Amino acid sequence: MTAKISLQNVSKQFTVRAGKGPKGLKGGAKEATILTALDALSLDVRDGEFLTLVGPSGSGKTTLLDLLAGLTTPTSGEVLVDGRPVTGPGKDRAVVFQQYALFPWRTASANVSIGLEGKGPDGRKLTRRERAAKASEYLALVGLAGFEDRFPHELSGGMKQRVAIARSLAYEPDVLLMDEPFAALDAQTREQLQDELLRIWRATGKTIVFITHGIDEAVYLGQRVAVLSARPGRLKEIVDVDIPDRVGDEDIRSHPAFVEQRHKVWTLLHDEVRVAQDAGHRKILPDGTAPDETPTTNPSNHERSAA
Amino acid sequence: MSTTLTRQAAAATAPSQPPAVGSHSPSKTTSKRATAAATFLRAVAARLGSGVWKVAGILAFLALWELGPTYLADSSTRVFLPPLHDVLAAWGKLYESGTIQGHLAASLTRSVTGFGAALVAGISLGLLIAWYPRLNAILNPLLELFRNTAALALLPVFTLLLGIGEESKISIVAYAAFFPVLLNTIAGVKTVDPLLIRAAKSLGLNSFRLFQKVILPSAVPTIFTGIRMAGTASILVLIAAEMVGAKAGLGYLIVNAQSSFLIPDMYAGILTVSLLGLAVNFLLVALERHFSRWRTAVGAASS
Repeated sequence: MTAKISLQNVSKQFTVRAGKGPKGLKGGAKEATILTALDALSLDVRDGEFLTLVGPSGSGKTTLLDLLAGLTTPTSGEVLVDGRPVTGPGKDRAVVFQQYALFPWRTASANVSIGLEGKGPDGRKLTRRERAAKASEYLALVGLAGFEDRFPHELSGGMKQRVAIARSLAYEPDVLLMDEPFAALDAQTREQLQDELLRIWRATGKTIVFITHGIDEAVYLGQRVAVLSARPGRLKEIVDVDIPDRVGDEDIRSHPAFVEQRHKVWTLLHDEVRVAQDAGHRKILPDGTAPDETPTTNPSNHERSAA
Repeated sequence: MSTTLTRQAAAATAPSQPPAVGSHSPSKTTSKRATAAATFLRAVAARLGSGVWKVAGILAFLALWELGPTYLADSSTRVFLPPLHDVLAAWGKLYESGTIQGHLAASLTRSVTGFGAALVAGISLGLLIAWYPRLNAILNPLLELFRNTAALALLPVFTLLLGIGEESKISIVAYAAFFPVLLNTIAGVKTVDPLLIRAAKSLGLNSFRLFQKVILPSAVPTIFTGIRMAGTASILVLIAAEMVGAKAGLGYLIVNAQSSFLIPDMYAGILTVSLLGLAVNFLLVALERHFSRWRTAVGAASS
């Protein structure tokens, strides 16, 4: 069986322009440093699989997702989707961001249909009415029927993320890449959306790569949980989540198998989190800057300034 | 004001909204309608309330203008500061003879032409500069220099090069209106949320579509702020230019009336200028609001 997504020895390095530290620290902070976000990472994702990805802060989770989305290119190694190297963003993959990233001047319906504007895979352009119909269909799938004409600022956080999910599903990609999509939501909404996501996944059979820092979430959603090490990000281990009778109505989170596997992931992650903390790793922004990263000594000044 | 009003009304009629407190109608639709009507009435009342205060300020000013010169000022001052009714009478005469319309038309033609040219040039150059960093690096110091040179300081240059005819006035209006539009266009494009750009790229939009569907719409409110500033600037500069050398226009009317010692006529001209300024600002604010409907009003009904 061939893999849907295949990462082969993928490394990614950033030349980091150090962020502007406190004014006293001007001297040494200007030199650019090379930062290895991902180091020789290999990972295969099967077709139709739900893979969750956990790792400590700064372990390159978002970088990995950007690579898969084609928003950035690897320094070395290969990213293959359907056996073909990824050269840029494509309609076979969709990204759902933590901060929704809805276009505020477009209604929910227009947000969902933005990916449908322009020529489809068959070279035909959908009419406005066809696009609206499709948008309604996908809004209904995420439980937002009747909200077509709302602007994003009229929707709650959970509803915005539903719209974002509908938007990424609307142009029918094979792969759904999700970057901590539920992290900004309250606990109740999060659980609700997790269940909805599982339902959508079963209904559509998409391949999903889901980044999270919630261990519960990772174990609850994923068929497999990939644990990344502290920076430089390597694949530490893949945990197969095997929980019987998932589809039932019971509280899976208190199932002994769930508890056991959750603990396993927790242990794996825990060491890495400590390593990352000791090293003072911080998030690298998509444009390659790491405003919280301190290349020189004296990290105590920067502690948790903008995390 | 009017947007909050419609938004409230929309929220009241929206399906998910629970009926507001205080509506006792049995049928759901009528209760909704009643709530909407109540909200509407309340908003109108609030509007009238604040309207009374706004009008009160204006009325007090006009009363002072009318009564002050008659009762407070001595007779020599009264000549230079005629009471309101004298000014209105002068305005009426100028209107009947068609003088004021002629001057207004002359001023409007110039400002609209210059303003329009500034819009086209400012927005297109602004988009180019924001899109190509190299261009920005070259032009930025130059623009900074020109921007900080008061437009009126260049009026002699325009007059020398283009004569005292329409060209020089239209150009100086265009010049003055150009910078607010340009700078706000650049700012608008540069402050587009990078996350939205990432999202658009991940949706597979190419550069052109990205520009058309994400960057431009998201910059529109900022651009409109610039347009509004440009509107104010263009009238200001135009009046000054007309005062210096012109054969028609409101600025000319004011200066000419002053030198002919037709003081009420002068005030009639000034009054027309303020009304024109108000009208232009009102129009541009309405346009701005129309194009920025999607922006959340601060503290508006988002949950």
